[in-house]
Amino acid sequence: MYPNITINYEGVTDYVESITMRLTTDDWGDICMIPTTMDKVELPEHFITFGAKGDLEKSYIMLNNFAYSGQVYGMPSMGNAQGIVYNKKVFADAGVNEIPKTPDDFLAALQKIKDNTDAIPLYTNFAAGWTMSAWDAYVAGSATGDPDFTNMGLTHGANPFQKHEDMTGPYAIYYTLYESVARGLTEEDPTTTDWEGSKGMINNGQIGCMVLGSWAVAQMQEGGNHPEDIGYMPFPITVNGKQYASAGPDYCYGINSKISEDNQIASMLYVKWLIEESGYAFDAGAIPIVQGAEYPDVLKAFDGIDFIIDNPPLEGEEELFNLVNNDSEIGLNNSNEPKQAIVEAALLQSMTFDEIMDEWNEKWTSAQENNGVTPEEYDYIAANSQ
Amino acid sequence: MSVEKFSKWAKSRKGQRLFVIITFMAVPLTLLMLFTYIPFLEMFKFSFYNMKYSGARTFVGLKNYAEVFSRDDCFKSLLLAFYYIAASFVQLGLALYFATIFCFNLRGKELFKGFLFFPYLVCGIAIGFIFKFFFTRGFVLDTVLGWIGIPLESLPYWLKDTRINNISLVFTSVWRYLGQNMVLFLGAMMSVDQTLYEAAAIDGANAWNKFRYIMLPSINSVIVLNMIMSISGSLSAFDPPYVITNGSFGTGTYFVIMNRIAHENQKVGLASAMAIVLMALIFVVTIFQKVVMAKLFPNDESEESIRRRRMKREKQLSKGGASV
Repeated sequence: MYPNITINYEGVTDYVESITMRLTTDDWGDICMIPTTMDKVELPEHFITFGAKGDLEKSYIMLNNFAYSGQVYGMPSMGNAQGIVYNKKVFADAGVNEIPKTPDDFLAALQKIKDNTDAIPLYTNFAAGWTMSAWDAYVAGSATGDPDFTNMGLTHGANPFQKHEDMTGPYAIYYTLYESVARGLTEEDPTTTDWEGSKGMINNGQIGCMVLGSWAVAQMQEGGNHPEDIGYMPFPITVNGKQYASAGPDYCYGINSKISEDNQIASMLYVKWLIEESGYAFDAGAIPIVQGAEYPDVLKAFDGIDFIIDNPPLEGEEELFNLVNNDSEIGLNNSNEPKQAIVEAALLQSMTFDEIMDEWNEKWTSAQENNGVTPEEYDYIAANSQ
Repeated sequence: MSVEKFSKWAKSRKGQRLFVIITFMAVPLTLLMLFTYIPFLEMFKFSFYNMKYSGARTFVGLKNYAEVFSRDDCFKSLLLAFYYIAASFVQLGLALYFATIFCFNLRGKELFKGFLFFPYLVCGIAIGFIFKFFFTRGFVLDTVLGWIGIPLESLPYWLKDTRINNISLVFTSVWRYLGQNMVLFLGAMMSVDQTLYEAAAIDGANAWNKFRYIMLPSINSVIVLNMIMSISGSLSAFDPPYVITNGSFGTGTYFVIMNRIAHENQKVGLASAMAIVLMALIFVVTIFQKVVMAKLFPNDESEESIRRRRMKREKQLSKGGASV
């Protein structure tokens, strides 16, 4: 339809800062990756809409980030999932032929790796710090399958860290961490782990797995000579017979609203081609955002698994989760220390896991009360089936 | 005051002196105010608020202070300062020892001085990374200990074992600051008049006597300075635990906890209150130390003490004269 168009790419260092500034000039080009600093209210001023969210949702996923009053202004270039990077060869050598689906299956698999191979079953990367709060990314979607869990279940729910007998929910995530350390299935000395070194180690089969987002897969593949051994699996939690994975969009394409209509149409078609036909997301080992698209090999284990993308908070409560989260000092996704403390307690046997979770519930509840939230029972399994 | 009178006063020696003082003081005082006292007063104000870096602030009175004293992690972390204080005595002793040695003629002393001072020039973060690898299982330290016949199995995990990990961290700060202490001591020792030693030698003083009765009293004020710096440094130890262990496994010092509360949990008010409490504590310790040092070394050579002693002597003399 639009033959003979020429496309020029411009590489920008310091992308977010530069583009935020340049967007104010109207003359920044035709297509850009919308910076995360962009407020939703300003979207219609800078970008044209790709269409109504309801219509687009029939063909694409992960459209929430730059949707504003029913219109979608940004199309994700690709999606990232939360799972576990693992070395397929190590798992196979240990005799683990099926990907574990529950925390206890997973721990049993790690035990097999310890018994049957020389690899470190689970490498925590404890010393790097941020790798410990990486565990928080699984608390909502992967552990509950509920897109409202962050903003409802955590913010408003009573004792969100309590134990559920079916081993789901945040408790199950940190239980996996505590137990693997307590059972000696992690590295000997967590205080001297080495992030850069870990890439080569997992690639060469000296490490069984690491709990990191899908962005890490490419780095682990490039870490050594065995990229084909690196695999990615969902977090081993099964909610009501089904597995889920927290996921979210990467950068989103936006089209300049101040350019000629001709350029807008050409840009639109180009973005469509990028998303649907270029194979960019597939080649990057990420989730293509087209409904029903084929996943890259590395994400094969995610076939049939629902990606859970957090729903936005209720109006007027945009800050509430952060307030409670910071006040409690559990710091989901921003504080490493409480998760490091789980590893310490497991190693030194200074606290049982239930004691830690009780303490977290207590802190969380008092933080909720400090911020005017009355905790209510929240049942994510019931919320799912609605 | 009439204009004429004022201009006359301004031209007078007294007026001129005042102008010169004001013009010279204005620049440093402005800088001091702008970058030290105003930010400090702001922080003091923050300590009465419940606030994040951005967003609304609510006045909460002394609640933050009450929390500093009631939280168990704040003051427990101060106990770690004892490791650093104990080490600072070792460090000062070693620094004094090396400085004394370097005071005398020694082959290659400039080279050794350089070696000892060098760690102080390396930035704290880099030192953290150096020692992270130094203490890693099977790396530098374990290898060296292996050479002298200590098997790896009998060695502890230097950073994980809660019985010794604080000592490992303290060692890195001794390693770093030893050279600085030494250079300060050395500077003071070099400024001692050499004729005093000669005179003492003629009177039959040995090396120890010279050290005890000439050198030590002469560098007294530098010792006090070094001690104050070491102890307040101990109370506010930050780099080694932050970079090497991130405060894990019981190595979180007061500063590490404060940093976590301010930056990870965004409780700026509480962290400010912690900073004020620590400052008060350092004040108390410093004053206490001054008093103790004054008792230990009463014969310091400050002008005031000389004057005091002279007056005392004169009084005694006049008394003695009266009795005769």
